[in-house]
Amino acid sequence: MAIAFPSTAFFLALRDAMRAEQERFQRLGFFDTTFGVRVLPDAPGGPAVDHTLGFEVFDCVAVREGLDGGTLDFVLEGPLTTWREMLDVIHALGAADTAHSINTLTHFGERLRVRYDDPNGHDKLYRFAESIQQFFDLAARLEFTYPDGSRPPAREGSAT
Amino acid sequence: MSYLSTTDFTEDAAFLERFGQIMRGDLELGWMDAARERPRCRPQNERRGLTFRDLDVGTYGFTDMPELIRHNRSFAPRGAALAEGLPDLQADVNRKSEVWAYNVEGYYEEAMTRQWNATTDIPWADLAGSELPEDVGKAYAQLLTFLTEVEMIATDVPAKWLGRLNADFFEVKNFIATQAMDEARHAEVFRKRALSTGFGLMRASRHNECNLKFLRDADSFAEASLTLHLQAEGMVLTMFRFSEYISPTEADKKLFRLVMQDEARHVGYGMQHLKWVLDHHPERREVIHQHLDEAENFVFGAGYATEVLEPFIILAGKGLTRERVQEGVRITSAFQLKQSEEYFERLARCGLPERRERSRLWKFVEMNRQALGAAA
Repeated sequence: MAIAFPSTAFFLALRDAMRAEQERFQRLGFFDTTFGVRVLPDAPGGPAVDHTLGFEVFDCVAVREGLDGGTLDFVLEGPLTTWREMLDVIHALGAADTAHSINTLTHFGERLRVRYDDPNGHDKLYRFAESIQQFFDLAARLEFTYPDGSRPPAREGSAT
Repeated sequence: MSYLSTTDFTEDAAFLERFGQIMRGDLELGWMDAARERPRCRPQNERRGLTFRDLDVGTYGFTDMPELIRHNRSFAPRGAALAEGLPDLQADVNRKSEVWAYNVEGYYEEAMTRQWNATTDIPWADLAGSELPEDVGKAYAQLLTFLTEVEMIATDVPAKWLGRLNADFFEVKNFIATQAMDEARHAEVFRKRALSTGFGLMRASRHNECNLKFLRDADSFAEASLTLHLQAEGMVLTMFRFSEYISPTEADKKLFRLVMQDEARHVGYGMQHLKWVLDHHPERREVIHQHLDEAENFVFGAGYATEVLEPFIILAGKGLTRERVQEGVRITSAFQLKQSEEYFERLARCGLPERRERSRLWKFVEMNRQALGAAA
């Protein structure tokens, strides 16, 4: 059964996919950060969907609904449309393309924004850039639906 | 040979006699009774392994290390028994606050696990199939030439200081050894990428090299760290992120993500070092400002040099037509603002919030921001 994006189940599925790739993430090195993901509604007035993701050593150790005040290094925030565009590309290509990497989407804050209080916490987005990118790229393996019930495009070249 | 032994051992009768006794099985064993602590360190987190933090115990530890290292001027590892007659190796840096940083041991462990390989971790085969238009290709090759220059000196600076630090600063020495390796790998990957574009290396930058010489020739490690780790690498970190943003291929994006990881770690050390200095020696604030005054002057000259600025404009606008150049100027101006804002933001977090008021660079940033606002 397809899981919903955004939801705790979606991020738990990403966590499980990461655990299945333990060797790959071990090769990328220590990954110690806790950050938030905030999906804003496309229409004004709707509720944001917030999650906290915690990483330690080589593993995702926490997936929680809501943003843990005071413990977050940074928050990735943006409208559902942008998150959806990124996930569509990842699902279709197997990984983000040049226009949809986390760094590119956040760089000028035009598509996604990085919110932070401490520049040291902000810099963790870059200290662990490849681990974070590969974590989100694992969405290519998930079957999920958006709030309107639609699904991301199938992998290019796949039989489905 | 500038350093000679005071003894010719092959002619020293006492030495030869003692050597002969040992080789006949008559062991002396005095070293076995050396006075020292005997901890049995264990990993606090088994998944992480045995870290330097796990070894922070007693005389082996770093938490209780004094500010002035008077007792050890040799290569004796911290905590070992100091034998009579150890040489004075005349380390240039013997004050903890000159080198120490909060969490330096953590940055070292992170560096060791996050090493990567420029030869095998970049999908070079994918790049072989990508052809860049001539204007974009030349701009990219010029950017890579500039970055190779930067990374070569960034390798030399930590390597230059490595042997000058007192051996008791073990964790710092190991960290800057990883930094020298990181920077060497960056120089390698930029050179390899330049020579795989079909455009080769372009023109070396006079302004950039003058800035790098200023950085290399700092009078102290603390000054070198301030300008290398915090100022130069902080600005280069934003530049790497911008380079990822404007990268023409996915393989180039990966390349810049990998180098930015290392750079961000070095910036982390620089921030935590400056914070340590200001927390423990607030009287050094004025010296730090004076060094930053000149460093920012060099940075302004180098960052705005033609061969640095123009490639960014062409890459950001994706071409050389009038419209693309205008778009490139808009994006590059936004990048420059971001670069300077993040630099001052870091300084403020380290305890130098007044830097903005004092800095001529910040005044230029403000002018630039107003110009951008008026153009919008």
